[in-house]
Formats: sequence, C-alpha cells, structure tokens
Amino acid sequence: MNLGIKLRDKAIYIGMLLTVNFPMAYAQSQSAIQPASDQARGISYIWWSMFWVALIVFVAVMILLAWGLWRGKSNNPSQLSYLASRNLVIIAGIAVPLITVICLVGGSLFLGRSLSQQSPDNALEVRVTGWMWWWQIEYLDDNGNTIATTANELHVPVDRPVMLYLESGDVIHSFWVPQLHGKTDLIPGRTNTSWFQVDGPGAFRGQCAEFCGLQHALMGFLVVSEPKAKFDAWLANQQAPAPSPSDSKTLAGQQVFFESGCQQCHTIRGTEARGTAGPDLTHLASRQSIASVTRKNSRAHLGGWVADPNGIKPGAKMPMAQLSPKQLSNLLDYLQSLQ
Amino acid sequence: MRSPRNNERKTAYEDVDVSNYSRHLNGHNAPIWWGIIGLILIELSVVSAFTVTYLYLYMQHGQWPPADIPAPPLLIPTWSMLLMLFSCVTMYLAGKSIEKNQSWHFVIYTFASVIMASSVLWIRWLQFDNFDMRWDEHVYGSLLWTISGFHFIHIVSAAIGTAAIGCFGMAGFYTKQRQIGVVVDTMYWNFVAFAWLPFYLVLYFFPRL
Amino acid sequence: MKNHSQTEQAMFDDQEGSEPILDKTWLSPPGFFGWFTHVNQRQIGFRFVVTSLIFFALGGLLALLMRLQLVQPENTLMGADFYHQIMTMHGTTMMFFFAVPAMEGLGIYLVPLMLGTRDMSFPRLNAFGYYVYLIAGITLYIALFLGMAPDTGWFSYVPLAGIDYSPGQGVSFWTTMITFIEISALTAAVELIVTILKQRAPGMTLDRMPIFVWSILVMSFMIVFAMPTVMVGSVLLALDRTFETQFFVAAGGGDPLLWQHLFWFFGHPEVYIIVVPALGIVSTVISTFCQREVFGYTAVVLSMVTIGFVSFGLWVHHMFTTGLPHLGLSFFTAASAMIAIPSGVQIFCWIATLWGAKIKFNTPMLFIMGFFAVFVIGGLTGVMAASIPFDMQAHDSYFVVAHLHYVLIGGAVLPFFAGLYYWYPKMTGSMLSERLGRWSFWLIFIGLNLTFFPMHQLGLDGMPRRVYTYLHNMGWGEINFFVTCAAFLMAFGFLLTFINALISPYQSRSAGNNPWHADTLEWWAESPPRNFNFRHLPVINSRTPLWQKAPLQKVTGIRADRREIIITTLLDAKPQGVCIMPTPTYWPFILALTVGFGFLGFMFKPILFVVGFFLSFFAIVGWLWPARPWLHEQPPEDGHPVRGLQ
Repeated sequence: MNLGIKLRDKAIYIGMLLTVNFPMAYAQSQSAIQPASDQARGISYIWWSMFWVALIVFVAVMILLAWGLWRGKSNNPSQLSYLASRNLVIIAGIAVPLITVICLVGGSLFLGRSLSQQSPDNALEVRVTGWMWWWQIEYLDDNGNTIATTANELHVPVDRPVMLYLESGDVIHSFWVPQLHGKTDLIPGRTNTSWFQVDGPGAFRGQCAEFCGLQHALMGFLVVSEPKAKFDAWLANQQAPAPSPSDSKTLAGQQVFFESGCQQCHTIRGTEARGTAGPDLTHLASRQSIASVTRKNSRAHLGGWVADPNGIKPGAKMPMAQLSPKQLSNLLDYLQSLQ
Repeated sequence: MRSPRNNERKTAYEDVDVSNYSRHLNGHNAPIWWGIIGLILIELSVVSAFTVTYLYLYMQHGQWPPADIPAPPLLIPTWSMLLMLFSCVTMYLAGKSIEKNQSWHFVIYTFASVIMASSVLWIRWLQFDNFDMRWDEHVYGSLLWTISGFHFIHIVSAAIGTAAIGCFGMAGFYTKQRQIGVVVDTMYWNFVAFAWLPFYLVLYFFPRL
Repeated sequence: MKNHSQTEQAMFDDQEGSEPILDKTWLSPPGFFGWFTHVNQRQIGFRFVVTSLIFFALGGLLALLMRLQLVQPENTLMGADFYHQIMTMHGTTMMFFFAVPAMEGLGIYLVPLMLGTRDMSFPRLNAFGYYVYLIAGITLYIALFLGMAPDTGWFSYVPLAGIDYSPGQGVSFWTTMITFIEISALTAAVELIVTILKQRAPGMTLDRMPIFVWSILVMSFMIVFAMPTVMVGSVLLALDRTFETQFFVAAGGGDPLLWQHLFWFFGHPEVYIIVVPALGIVSTVISTFCQREVFGYTAVVLSMVTIGFVSFGLWVHHMFTTGLPHLGLSFFTAASAMIAIPSGVQIFCWIATLWGAKIKFNTPMLFIMGFFAVFVIGGLTGVMAASIPFDMQAHDSYFVVAHLHYVLIGGAVLPFFAGLYYWYPKMTGSMLSERLGRWSFWLIFIGLNLTFFPMHQLGLDGMPRRVYTYLHNMGWGEINFFVTCAAFLMAFGFLLTFINALISPYQSRSAGNNPWHADTLEWWAESPPRNFNFRHLPVINSRTPLWQKAPLQKVTGIRADRREIIITTLLDAKPQGVCIMPTPTYWPFILALTVGFGFLGFMFKPILFVVGFFLSFFAIVGWLWPARPWLHEQPPEDGHPVRGLQ
C-alpha cells in the first residue's frame, strides 16, 4: 500500500520533472510582424508605414525642441516673434498632424473595410468556442452541422479561406493568431466572425488575448496549415469514431478511463464517453500538444498531466486522478492509441 | 508677447473695500448654490447613464418586455408622477413664504410637500409588490426594479432632508436673510421630481412601442 | 444684544494688530484628535498629495513584484491567483488611488492659493472627500493582505467578474470601494469647480486665470461627467453579484458588452482626467523657467477644453476587437486620432515659448524635458492604436502596456514630479536637493525608457497582457529579463525623490516666498503659507501679477475674527459678497465612517446599507447644524449695511 503511494508519487515526480525540463520541441513564433496570411500582411504594412511616419515625427519634434533650446544657449539668444511662433503652432501643431492623421486614418479604414468584409463563398467553416481555459474546435458542413470536433488544434487547408464563428461557453476570451490575423473576442451570447487564408503549410501558435481568469496565460492553441490532400485525410480521420482498443493494455486502459470517471467530462466518440465539460479526446493522440499547447503530446507529459493537472496549470478544472502506476500506464496506452 | 499689455488695458481695479458687502448669500452669489448645481450635474449624469443603459438593452431585444409579460400599467405611475410634480409647487410656495418672513406658512408648505412625497413613496412601494417580474428573472425586471429603486431612494433623501429643514424652520432658523438652505433644498427637490420624467418615459412607454 | 457684542469685537484684516487674530481664526487645531477636525484646504490638499504618493509607492512595489514573476519563463515565484490580485491592485491603485487623488490634491492645495483666496468653497466636504479616499484605500489594501483582493483586473470585465466566475469577496471589494472612492473624486471636483468659478481674486477675469487652474477646471468637469458612469456600472455589477439581477448576464437578457461601454465611457476620459492637469503643470513650469508667459494662452486653454470634450467620444477604441460593426468603429478611429491636434498645438506652443529663452534647468525643468520625449512617443503609439486593423494586433498585448505607460508616466507622472519639485518649497518652506533631484530624474528617465520601450517589441512578438507566466519556447525570456532589471532602475529613481522629500526639510535650504521668481499668486504667500494663506487678499490686474512692477492692490474690509472670503462674479471676478466659512469639526470624519459602514456593510449584509444610509443622514444633520449665535444682519441704512454692523 505504502509502496504503491510512493511509486505513484514517483511517477508524478518523474512526469513533472520531464514536463519542466523538456518543453515543446518545435519553435513557436507568435510574431505579428512575421505574417503568414494576406490579412496579417496587410496589418504589418500598416504597422511599418505608421512606424516610419512616427519615427520621422518624433525626430522632427525633438530636433525642433533641441534647436529652440540651443538658440537660448547661444551668445545671441533670439526669441521667436509673435508671428513666427504663431506660424510654428499652426504649421507644426495643426497642419502637419492633421494631414498625417488623415492619411493614417484613411489607410487604416481602407484596410479595415477589406478585413471586415464577408469571407469568400468557398470558405471552410469552423466554430471555435472558448472555455476556461481551452478551445473547442468544430468543423461545420454546408448546413452548419458539426462534422468533427477537436480541441486546441485548428487544422486548415492552404488553398481555402477559413471562416471562424467565435463563441464563448463561459467568460470573454479572444482568439488571436498574430501571424494570421488580429484578434477577435469570443463573447457569451454573441457569435463573432473572422476569416483568413494561410499562405502555405506551417504551424502558427495563438493564444487567448482577453483576461479570462487563472489560466489565461497558458490558454494557447495551434493553427496547422496543410496541403489539401493532407488536410482532407486529417479531417476524414477526425470525423471517424475512435479506434477500439486492440490489445489487453489498451483495453485495461479504457476500463481505467471509465472507472476513474473521465467520461463525465470528456467525449470519446465510439464509446460511452459523452461528457462535454472538457476537450473531445476522440483523436487525442493525433494532436501535437496537450493542455492548450502548454506541453508536447508525449507519454511523459501526458502522464504528468493526468497525474496532476494543477501541477502544470494551477486552477485547471481537471481533477487529479487517483491511479496506481500500473493503471496510469494502461490509461496512457489507451490514450496514446486514440490516433 | 502682446497679451500682458492687452490685459492691463482692461478695467484696472484699485483697492477694494468689501466691509459693506452682504454676508448673507442667498442665490447665485452663494457657493452652495453652485455646489448644488454641481450635485445636480452629477446626478444628471447618473440619470442619463441609467436611461442610456435602458435604451441600450431595449435595443438588444426584439421582444420587449419579454414574452408573456404585459407592459406595466400607466394610470397609477402617472398619478404618482403628477403628485410629485405638484409638490414642487408647494416647495415653491414654502420659499415664497420665507421671502415674506412667514415662518409658519413655510413650515406648513414644507410638511405638505413631505407628505406628498411620502404618499408617492407609498404608491411606489405598492407598485414594487405588483411588478410583473422579479429582478432576477430577466434584465427587463432588473431594470424596472433598479431604476424605480434608485429614484425611490432619492425621494426618501429629499423627503427626510426637507423634513429636517421644516424642523429648523419651526425653530425659527430661516428668515429672508438666512434662506439659502431652503433655496438649495428646493433646487434638489425639483431635480428629484423632474428626474423621474425620463425614467417614466422609458419604463412605461418603451414597453408599449 | 448679541449683535452688539459682535460689533465690539469686530476686527478687520486691514486693521493694526489683526494678524494674530486672523492667524487664530484660521488655525487648524493641533494634536492627534485635532487632526480629524481639520478642514483648511492646505491641510487637506497636502494630505491628498502625501497619501497618493504612498499609494504610488505601494502600486510601484506591486509592479516590481509582477516584474519579478515575469523575469523568466514559467517562473514559480508566485501563483496565478496572487499575480492576478497584485495585477488588479496595481491598476486600481495607480488609476483610482494615485493619479486622480494626486492631481486633485495638487489642485486643492494650489488652486485657492493661485486664485488669491483663503479656502475652498466647501471646506468640510473637502475633508470628507479625503477620509472617504483614505478609508477606501486602506480597505482595499487590507483585502490584499488578507489574500481577498479583487483578481479580475482593474477593468473587471464581466462575466469573469460576475458572481458565477468570481464567487469570492474580492470583486465585491472592488465594486463597493470603486463606487465609494468616486464619491471622493466627485466631491473634490464640484468643490474645485465652484472655487474656481466663484472665488477668484477681484479682477482675475477668466482670461487672467493661471493655465494650471484652467487645467484643474477642465479636469473637474470631466470628473463630473465621467465618474458617475463608472459608479452606475459598478453599482449594477454589485447588484448582479448580490441580488442576481441580470444586467451583464447574457442568459438573462443582459449584455456583457454593456459593462464595457459603461466602463470605458468613464475609462477613457479617466486618462485625460489625469493628463490634463499634468499639461497644466507643464505650462506653469515652462513659463516660470523661461521667465516669460506661455505662448498662445488662448490656444493652450482651448486645446485643453477640446481634449476634455473629445475624450468623451473615444471610449469604443477600447472595444475594437469586440466584433462591433466596422463602420461604427471608424468614427472612433477618426476621433481618437484627432486628439493629436490639440496635443500638437500645446506641444508647439511650449516649443515656441522655449525657443531662444534663457532657461534655468532646475529639476522641475528636467522632468518637463523628459515629459516631451516620453509623451510624444506615447502619443504616437496612441495614434497607431487608433487604427482598427493595427489595434486588432496590438490590443491587449504588451504593445498597449508600453503605450499606456508612456502616456501615463510621460504625460502624468513626470509632470507631477516636476510639480512636486516645483511646489515643494511652497508646501514645506525648504528647497529639495538639486543633486538628488538630478540623479532621480535621470534614473527615472533612463529606467522608464528601458522598461517600457522593449515592451513594444514584446507586444509585436505576440505576448498578451495580464499573463502571469509564459512558456520557455516563446522567445520572450531575454526581453522580459531586461525589462525587469530596468524596472528596478526606474524604481530606484523614484526612491531617490522620496528620500529627497523626506530629508530636505532638515537641511535648511530656506526657500523664501518666491524661489523660482514665478508669476502666479501662490508665490505671493509665505512658504509655507500661514494659516490664512495671504495676509491681505489681492486684487489682480494682469495675468502675471507677480511680474508686474507695481505692488498688488489689496482687498480691505474682510473680518479677521471669523473665516471670511470674497465671492466674485463668474466671468469678470467682480466682488459680489462675502462668505463666512465653516470652522474645524469632526463631522466630515464621522460622515465618512457612516457612509463607509453602509458600503462595506452592503458587501456582507445588504440591509446594513440601509443602516448606513440613516446613520449618514444624522451625520449630515449634525454637520449642517447651524452654530449659535445665528448670523444676523442689521437692516441696511441707505440700502447698504454699515461697516462694523455685520
């Protein structure tokens, strides 16, 4: 008995150690100025043009200020006449800002209008629902019915626009993938929309941008863009029910899953598990990461997460599972079989 | 730098002797008069915030009030509003009697106003009992209760404040010279009475649109 | 009878030997218990400034704690819960408990002095406002030490701040204390407005009013129209939390966005409520250190008024990502960007004033120079954030953290510290050390740029605000480490000013009445001013009364044996009457306690609010109870009362 507890503690300890020391292997950029879509590129153009204008304005004001101060230091200080002062204020204080501002406002309205337009007809439609603190992702067919559900990992094809319907299940969140588009809030009682089209294959990290409570900081997600064939294969797999346990270990793992009450919160399509409070686990093993892109989806991390979710994300709503090392091992076998 | 000279060209004041200026300030020359204007401005901001909140929520809904809820009855609220407005007249008469140094008229008019306000409060209290919806069922009910309650508290403050002033009047404190207390209390009273108008409009007419 | 005896005692402040009597009349009672009776504007203003600086230090310490947590990725110094509490308290402290009270405090201290009067219009209300502020601040910090502080951000977005997702008392503390402290801001605002409009020295027409007083007037009007909105918002939130009303609950027909509208309708003007008085300080300091009037008095004043008006039309730029229709949002882009013009006018009016002037670069002027650089950067990033597409990236990222700190530190804190160095001699009678002042300025200036400039980069790199940690592989670690180090540099700079202010009175650098050779009336009083502010009340004939050659004209006929001040007309400042001001009393303190009891009680048992309401009523009656003998005036002879018979 004692031994069992010690072993479990050890397993948790090792799992946590691994999670701390081996962060996710792939590099993650979340930079707004490394755009990977037309939308983000347009915004980065606006940014760079504003940046240069602002730099010029700043330098000009500082030069004028320094010049004026220097006139006072010189041997023959001369103050500005009333007329010269008035002209300085009218030209530099009114005319120049007015023109600059009109250009900036015009430019950003022009871009803003194109960003806020409806997406093209052939768009892939996806509903994203924010929960404390993870993302539910549902692929919709032409009639708006859900055909596949996953979590925290949005796969998109490269050749099609993606139309997002953004909703919230609890508090306000904000969907933000800096490399693809600006953010849009997910507000309870409303459905916001946003769309983008990715340039080419790649993985782009996003993260919640509206303060939403304890784990706001680690509410990440991944957008994976793939060529059409690869995406279609992926979607077809996601639509299918979970593979049945094929050996004794996974079968035992499935039993652990149900005995521990995991099905109360999680869905695994093709089984009795139909909980909706937590992410859909039907194809958990096909995802690159767990815990809202906080850890890599490896056996060690998964074990650490199941054993003590609050050790990785304090406040996470998933309870700690009371499992023996063998049970944990079987459960991991099962979860890892959910390709 | 032309301005200083410009300024000096204006009327130049010599030494000013204020020993014979009045120490009894009863109108625009009294700071408290302006202070009450400030208070009323603040309260007006609050009233408009509530009104705009109502209109905002009204516009968020296709159906207002929500299904199965009738629009609130008009008759009693209208009478209570008229009664409250009529109390402004008695307050005005109270002020007039102080102008004429008629202390007892003042006391009678003041307490008449307080009694009218109390009847309005009583009517409002009965209304609370008869609202068609609780405050926690739907935002329509929340608005009805909160706005009515907000104004209810204001009538209570105005009424007990004026009652206190009536008591001071009985003690003979107010005279033609010392009447600023009455002046500002009447200003606040009028504000409380008229602040109901926008609320009356939104609470009782928008559900009928 | 009584009048007769009064007549015999009557003593006017222009009479021989009236000075000790005048001094005694305006005395604030000494001693610990006396402290709670003070109503004089200088005592209250000074308390506001000192208390706000203490809150500034506390808010700064919280910021340093946050920086320590963020110094490296996945740091475990503190938990998410505690981080969110100090993050909320940092924002709430800096906005509600430092910036606004600090500016109001300067206004309360300086405005009557600049106007040449002896007190504010409602001295007891002034004291009441201070106690309300103090009680609210202490309550929130006690909550923090109990680990019960609000943790949903200083903006308390619903539904997160609603009862379903924040069931604890933390957010309740926030809603009640925010409603409570707004009372303090509003009383101070009304009082400043009335004082400025009705108590200017005879002859100080509106266009002879010091620019700083104009800025305080604009600030006060903005408070009057902006603060009630957040009070309504926080009251509705409190009702939602306590009585389960449905204002912000989508399921009950309410709307979470309504909160954002109410909050930002206050929240954006709030920024300018803080910045406008700071602009007034900039004008004042520049004028003094250039020894010439600020160029374009009318333009500068109109710019501040314009900023005041326009700031009420900008609130939606905090909501560009909420999915509102683009066309509607565009209006707010244009309005937000247009703020650049009144700001530009002021900047260039100042540059025109500085141009070719023989400037003395004392510490206040250094802070103003720092203001120029920092505020211009903050303004430029503000124009950027007004662009909807760019804001969709920048919003709620560290870019905005950088922007708002540039605006608020550049636009408010640097001028405020310039003001401290500038007016400290007037408040205490001794000069601050220039050497420490210079060190302090350069550390703050360099520290703040090193702290906040890299945050622009963090924002563009995709780091969201309000995160208690971030992952190793995000690549934000180096910049965050650098920023934390720089934050300590800046904090050290602020610490030097605090030390300077604490030790300077013991170093006998006597200030004299007018150490900077400034032009405004506060420098006509002694340093620190006597109980009665001015031995004689002045009559004003120009915009720069202390730079004119002739001695100031004086008002005579003010009684020395009771607190009298002159009321003048609104526009032309012609004498209109004499007002007798109230004396020291405990009632404001008692009222603050009863009102505070009502608000705090509401958190635990709503019925206690009603108890507080009636207790407050008795306190108000006690406060207003007319002191005997009642003021009585002899019937006027020939239409005028005769001197000596009042």
